Amino acid sequence: MAGQSTAAVARTGDNLFLKAVAALSTLAGWISAAMILAAVALTCQMIFVRFVLNGSTVWQTEAVIYLAVGATLIGLPYVQRLRGHVNVDLIPLMLPRTVRRYAAIFTLSISIAIICVMFFYGYEYWHFAWERGWRSDTVWGPKLWVPYLALPLGFGLLLLQLVADLIAVILRIDAPFGLEEGGPS
Amino acid sequence: MDPLTLGGLVALGTILILFSGVSVAIGLLIVSALFLMIFDGMRSLELMPEIFFGKLDNFALLSIPMFIIMGASIASTRAGADLYEALERWLTRVPGGLVISNLGACALFSAMSGSSPATCAAIGKMGIPEMRKRGYSDEVAAGSIAAGGTLGILIPPSVTMIVYGIATETSIGRLFLAGVFPGLLLVGLFMAWSLYSTWRSGNTEVLTKTVYTWKQKLEILPRVLPFIAIIIGVLYAMYGGIATPSETAAVGALLCLLIAIVIYKLWSPVKLWEVLRDSTKESVMILFIIGAAGVFSYMLSSLFITQAIAEWIGTLDVNRWVLMFAVNVFLLVAGFFLPPVAVILMAAPILLPIITTAGFDPIWFAVVLTINMEIGLISPPVGLNLYVINGIAPDIKLKTILAGSLPFVACMVIAIVLLCFFPGIATWLPNAVMGV
Repeated sequence: MAGQSTAAVARTGDNLFLKAVAALSTLAGWISAAMILAAVALTCQMIFVRFVLNGSTVWQTEAVIYLAVGATLIGLPYVQRLRGHVNVDLIPLMLPRTVRRYAAIFTLSISIAIICVMFFYGYEYWHFAWERGWRSDTVWGPKLWVPYLALPLGFGLLLLQLVADLIAVILRIDAPFGLEEGGPS
Repeated sequence: MDPLTLGGLVALGTILILFSGVSVAIGLLIVSALFLMIFDGMRSLELMPEIFFGKLDNFALLSIPMFIIMGASIASTRAGADLYEALERWLTRVPGGLVISNLGACALFSAMSGSSPATCAAIGKMGIPEMRKRGYSDEVAAGSIAAGGTLGILIPPSVTMIVYGIATETSIGRLFLAGVFPGLLLVGLFMAWSLYSTWRSGNTEVLTKTVYTWKQKLEILPRVLPFIAIIIGVLYAMYGGIATPSETAAVGALLCLLIAIVIYKLWSPVKLWEVLRDSTKESVMILFIIGAAGVFSYMLSSLFITQAIAEWIGTLDVNRWVLMFAVNVFLLVAGFFLPPVAVILMAAPILLPIITTAGFDPIWFAVVLTINMEIGLISPPVGLNLYVINGIAPDIKLKTILAGSLPFVACMVIAIVLLCFFPGIATWLPNAVMGV
């Protein structure tokens, strides 16, 4: 896909913190993939119940949606680690290497700032739902804190991965924007 | 501040932030947060995670990971090679059969896999060396594959169309149908150019054929039919009103995964994980942008920017085709730098009111926009297809690949012009199948 970074997976070197975050993000990726698979299976089950058994389905649609939203949020750190979140790397590619490094520090810092906001208010939103016992207004009526938990969890893990990426650039363990080649030096 | 000026500031801010190299989704969140904070107060930041979640809380979105899994499992197999071989064996008697079968294989495989780079890689790996061996020019060999790979975002089932449908709240079923004839039109134009340019170069003997026996023609079919049958089944279930796009896509995803495992022997957990990992990566990337674009469009409308733009366009005294031209130039430029889904999600909340106020059909516009996005996939600076071709045929210079792609860009522009004069190419089929 155009614009998708062709850079490799984020490097960790021998840094323990970076390795730990990488492991955590990978685990999150597995969970996310498993949730997507579960959504596929559940949707098929729902169709089977409706069309083959002629039954009615109560909770499946909602559960599948929450699985997909959860998979998205929990998958964020893993995709960040794989550098799968598309960006426009035209300018960074044209920058000389030293400037490129500062540009990477800048973009990672503003990314960390906004994900802090999303994490903080995501946590608050989840906490509200938990404290007040919000339920979805459907027949099934699940407790909403369960799906909302993905907000602080996903953004929190993404925050960790972004901090790890920033540290890797500052310590020169990883190339800025993951771009090894190019750029006038 | 006047909402229109504010809109200008948002546009400028978005361009600056995105070009800094920050990821698209995070960039949209940053711009939204900044403008909400300054013009609507700190309290509106509280709403961002809620809006983000709410945007993703939609059953229709599920079709995105489902179609991606479907495509990724097909792309992980030898299906591309089989498809190529099958078309080559069957179309061998047609003049220029080789380039025709390459383009046909690209169209089919890109529609099935939904991935433009995967198509270029799968078909190009065999197609390009074979075409060069038989005397086609490097330009035609590389350009036809690069352009053929872009067809998947237009021919159904297309994730790009689903994203457009979700962003603009138009029917995904109609959008899929609207892509069929324009897709065939493009395939036709691509084939016509390839044949003409080969004939013009005086290299006509390459247009003749090798001969295959009926046995060779028939034995290849069982290997390509299952996937095609699933795709047709999925589309049939959708239009037969049997199930929604998300539901049919889920069944399609399961079946394609099973076929990949059973027929193509994708046993190994490592290989299976690769399919899942790639699908997860792509889905999460797109869904993150969808959530962030939801926050972005909330910001635009709560600062009255969307409404102000629509009103402003309404009072503008310009010909609507001039407007359409301007919109297309804007999209073309955006498409040079960003992948189609990102362009659609960012531009939809701003462009849709403009399009509908000027009296254009959003379904027709989806097709024009998608062809426009295809151009971005084979144009510098980030036309990924060019680099994929460069990767699989390293001895063809990037300059040659680019030169080979340009005539195909011209074909796409011709298709857009034709669609402007004859909108029925896009709108007839959805209207005929699903009613006006």
